[in-house]
Amino acid sequence: MIASLFQLPDELIISTLAQAFPCREAQIRALATLLCQPTAAPCRNLVVYGTEATGKTAITSALLARLADQDNDNEPPNLRYAIVSSPECITARHLYETVVAKVAVALEWTDSPSRCESLSQLHVELCKMLKYPSRPPGFRFVLVLDAIDRQREAPHTLLPALARLSEIIPCLTTVFIVTAPAPNLLLISSVPHLHFPTYIKPEFVAILSARSPPGPNPLPNATPQETADLWARFVAAVHDALARAACRTLPALSHSCTTLWPRFTSPVLAGTHSAKEFSKLLVAARLLFHDDRLLDPGVLAIPPSQPTSKAAGAPPPRPPPSAETKPSSAPAAPPPVPSTPSRSAPTTPATPAAALTTTTGAGAGPALARLLPTTARHLLLAAYLASHNPARHDLTLFSTHHHGRRRRRGGLSVSGGGRGGSRAAAANKHKKIARKLLGAHAFVLERMLAIFEAVRGEWGDGKDGVEVPSDGDVGMAIATLASLRLLVKVGGGSGGSGDMMDSGGKWRVNVGWEVIRGLGRAAGVEIEEWLIE
Amino acid sequence: MAQNEMIDASFEEDDHRVAFIFQPNTNVSHEKGTDGATPRSAKRRKLAAASSSSSTPKKHRQHGSTGTNGGVGVCFPPLFGGTEKPEAAILRRELFEEAWPVLEKRVQHVLREANRNTLDEVAGFLKRAAEIETDKLTSAFIITGPNIAAQDLLFEQLAERLCADPAGGDAPPRFVRLRASDAPNLKAVLRKIIRDASAAGPGEDEDAGAEVVQGGRKYLDYDLEALHVFLRQHQTRRVVVAFQDGEAFDSGLLTDLISILHSWRDRIRFELLYGIATSVELFQARLAKSTARQLYGAQFDVVQAGSVLDGVVKTAIASTYAALRIGPSLLRTLVDRQHHHVAGIHAFVASLKYAYMCHFYADPLSVLLAGQGRLTRPMLQPEHLEAVRTLDSFKAEAEAAVDARQLRHARSLIEDDEYLANQILDHGARRNEYLLRLLRSLHLIATSGLTPISFTDLYILALSDGVDISQSSGTIPLEDAIRRLNPDEFLTLASRLLHAISAGSPELGLTDFTADAEDLVASLTDLHDEVDGLSSRARSQGTTLKSRYSAQSRVLRTTVVAQKVQLSRDHATLTDEDRAFTAAVDKLCEVLAQHARCEPLADLFLHEPWTFDARAPYRDVFVPRPGNTLGRALVRPHDYLACACCAKAAADPAGRLDPALPTTAVLYHLYLEAGALINVADLWAAYYALVGEGEEGDGEESDAGGGGFDERTALVQFYRGLAELRMMGFVRPSRRKADHIAKVKWL
Repeated sequence: MIASLFQLPDELIISTLAQAFPCREAQIRALATLLCQPTAAPCRNLVVYGTEATGKTAITSALLARLADQDNDNEPPNLRYAIVSSPECITARHLYETVVAKVAVALEWTDSPSRCESLSQLHVELCKMLKYPSRPPGFRFVLVLDAIDRQREAPHTLLPALARLSEIIPCLTTVFIVTAPAPNLLLISSVPHLHFPTYIKPEFVAILSARSPPGPNPLPNATPQETADLWARFVAAVHDALARAACRTLPALSHSCTTLWPRFTSPVLAGTHSAKEFSKLLVAARLLFHDDRLLDPGVLAIPPSQPTSKAAGAPPPRPPPSAETKPSSAPAAPPPVPSTPSRSAPTTPATPAAALTTTTGAGAGPALARLLPTTARHLLLAAYLASHNPARHDLTLFSTHHHGRRRRRGGLSVSGGGRGGSRAAAANKHKKIARKLLGAHAFVLERMLAIFEAVRGEWGDGKDGVEVPSDGDVGMAIATLASLRLLVKVGGGSGGSGDMMDSGGKWRVNVGWEVIRGLGRAAGVEIEEWLIE
Repeated sequence: MAQNEMIDASFEEDDHRVAFIFQPNTNVSHEKGTDGATPRSAKRRKLAAASSSSSTPKKHRQHGSTGTNGGVGVCFPPLFGGTEKPEAAILRRELFEEAWPVLEKRVQHVLREANRNTLDEVAGFLKRAAEIETDKLTSAFIITGPNIAAQDLLFEQLAERLCADPAGGDAPPRFVRLRASDAPNLKAVLRKIIRDASAAGPGEDEDAGAEVVQGGRKYLDYDLEALHVFLRQHQTRRVVVAFQDGEAFDSGLLTDLISILHSWRDRIRFELLYGIATSVELFQARLAKSTARQLYGAQFDVVQAGSVLDGVVKTAIASTYAALRIGPSLLRTLVDRQHHHVAGIHAFVASLKYAYMCHFYADPLSVLLAGQGRLTRPMLQPEHLEAVRTLDSFKAEAEAAVDARQLRHARSLIEDDEYLANQILDHGARRNEYLLRLLRSLHLIATSGLTPISFTDLYILALSDGVDISQSSGTIPLEDAIRRLNPDEFLTLASRLLHAISAGSPELGLTDFTADAEDLVASLTDLHDEVDGLSSRARSQGTTLKSRYSAQSRVLRTTVVAQKVQLSRDHATLTDEDRAFTAAVDKLCEVLAQHARCEPLADLFLHEPWTFDARAPYRDVFVPRPGNTLGRALVRPHDYLACACCAKAAADPAGRLDPALPTTAVLYHLYLEAGALINVADLWAAYYALVGEGEEGDGEESDAGGGGFDERTALVQFYRGLAELRMMGFVRPSRRKADHIAKVKWL
């Protein structure tokens, strides 16, 4: 009797799981107890929480799969489960229908489910499948709602209502996987919460050491044991250098390690250092650990094939990181494919030092200049000026009326004082924030066109002398810039991005200073001269 | 046929016309049924309708015959004031229909070929990425340049290519093309992806694409599960989603979409293609970093518009296959527009077609383009000969003949119709000869690689100024470049030129012209052998071969004689070989100058029938200028409205404002005189002073034709005019001052 009341889950399952997911044994045990011991630990709702990539989903699904398998030996299966990933569901209705469909599949339910548009219909459907049919004693159904806190278009009653499902249906256990639960997330008292904490350094090292290092294994001039030792110490070093400050998750750290490893071990490959001389290797590679672009890998996995315009700014080749997202965050994931790192390894050691000095933003300017035709380029520059110069200075900057020649920046600076008393002026000055820092201001289209007309003569290549104003082409250039979102419409009559034909509304330039400066220089215009501080 | 009728009807309907232009004096001259004596206004429409209804069956019949023998469709209206022979008009149309498709095909070929590299790279990347086990979404970023509209072709080709070439023996992937306008929100874009991906492919039967129902479950139309089930039925997992204008998508939407596709990647293998107009950095800056991390991307460049343009000019416009030459000034305008504006290569091709259409439609002399067999003496009317005699090139030819004392020739040109007709019939051969000379010269210059100028610019230069490579006076000075050559470069140049002659140029439509350039080939071969021998001799002597031009030719020499320093210049010592090499270089210059030589197009007698160089029609059609047009129409409405009162206004020499002009035009005049802010009351006062009835005309019955409007009518007119001005964007209400409107500067 006692045994039947309090029976620990099968030790075999737990030990194999703990092996597959190192450093998570406590959580696995707790989860197993809560999920398959209804008599000992009655649990209708369970909140599993923890930050990104701590193994919540992977462990839950793996555990449930094994528990269900184990139960399959008995004649009527005692545990069924369904996992619904809610980020895949576009609307709440989509979520309900997915839940119903998955439950039906798990129960091998044959009736065709009807439409399920609201929470109450969901209740009805689930009752139909779970509550009314007679089930063997001890039957449990586990419904896992993964990342339910990120459900789109969720009604605010969604979570409490889902939590009450198990009150209506006794054999149901609902597991909510969330990132950080609010104190009364489900509006129910005493819901068990299971926390998956972030890994700490020894755990990181243990997990990553369990995998074999990428690339040739063992290293050419080292034994397997030496390689493994070096890898473990290397992981610890990377963790100290990067993870503490920035890349705190397992995938990010693993990505950094995978990327750095070939470059770190290149002296070993070259034979200058042996695999045992860790500190020498570390000193040789210390520049690598300063490179913070590792933390923001960007979308380009393969560097652009044409080295023409971006030879300096090209990112070093990055191998694909092996484990990036949640399902694969299990440390038992297959080792990364060695082909890419080894291919990129020989070429890399020289690049990081050179690449450190360049900024990424500067590369976009010349590229833009190469792509955009002259009119569009000038329009974009004019838009930047319109966005960043106050309108009251336009006359001084662009008019040729008084001086014959345009007066540029010489001595034109906004003076704060003059009007009020000196104290008021000082206070004013104190409050004033540099306009450049405030970001782009909105302007009316006509002002930009006026600026464009004023400067195009001076900026033009001067070959044509007087250029015929061609409205159609200018309009086309503006439309192109708008469709490229280099120029965006703000406000406007019908709510922002509504009507392109609406002449009301203002515009704003959507590219930053670096790009504009590059663009201006490519066109032979020093844009600083046209800006008032 | 029904469609044809629809088109006809739509042209008949005035409602569909963009602009209304009064043309009181023109008759529908080619319609036999019109008699000019009838009063126009009311009846003209009826007549037009009647004539069109009577002519439609005829047109249809003609159209039907087009289908069978590929001959004439609706024939061009006869020119020369209607006296052109119908055969000539038909011939013009035939010429157009023969000339244009040739060009179009070549252009299309160039455009498709230009993308080939990109296609290969993208397909290769997708294939390689499929083999790499990665958790990321494979995505290819194709830098297309700002003209998104022109990239339809690229994505079409990508779809063809990827579907035709399945990786690893899979079923072909499903290809979905998305544009930003298709994607207002997440649901809509998912719906489109599912619908397009599960639409029946070309080789499949229709039921396959029917609604997916599994186990009685109907999926929501934005549920990717439906797509998953569909793909499982078709034994494929790959779906290629192409974002044609990647930047135009809302970044929040894109982020959502990418994360959803990413979460499905273990069931459906999505591969993403982005058309990026600016740069990947800018694109990436708009995505969330967590999203960016889900992409496994590579960047691809499309051949940039400049080189595509060069290819199009080379293969289509310049090649011998082009019947009509586009003149240098028009071509320069077209090319400049490509450089300065977001026009795109398709706009260029459209402009070309328009030039062809204009030429064959409106120039009666275009019949002269017909070949020997088809242009016969009877075809040439007296009008043709008259027209030829008005041409500039005719005048130039006649004057040149007089200057050269060939008086008989000049006289017969002017007086003897038969003589002129023979000249005209012969001109085809002269034209071909000129073109061959021009293209061969250009081909030689372009293959020599001595000049950095692009082919397009070379071609334009050659047409407008001729080809001459001499350093001092030439249009394309090359002599210095030739003289600076060292022996090795000299040898490569010579062999390259020889190869250019023997291979011709398939792009330009040039074949092997060894036979025509025998002396050039001979001298080039000689020079090559000679310099080869010289350099080997020099090498055996341990010296380097140099020419007078490449060596430091002058040395300053200092001699001390009797404690005086004498400076003397001296030529560097050249060995015999060097001297021989110098001679060879000179010879090459000379030979090349002889062969790469051509006069400008405008110097040619009778070049007008086969060149089109008018910029005005092109500008009017392709570069609209709504601001200027509206402004002009409002300033001079009488140019457009041919009514009696307007004629009076036009005749008024003082340029006073006539109250009989349309209200909007009057208001526009007043508007032009006003400042930035206009008081509406003042404007009304000024207007009423103009159009209102005078003090003395109080008792008079007011009407438009009489002494002015009464106040109410005038006010109505004023309001209407002001509303029109506002609608056209000249003024807008201002909040700065009460009762004022602000000028909107329209550039």
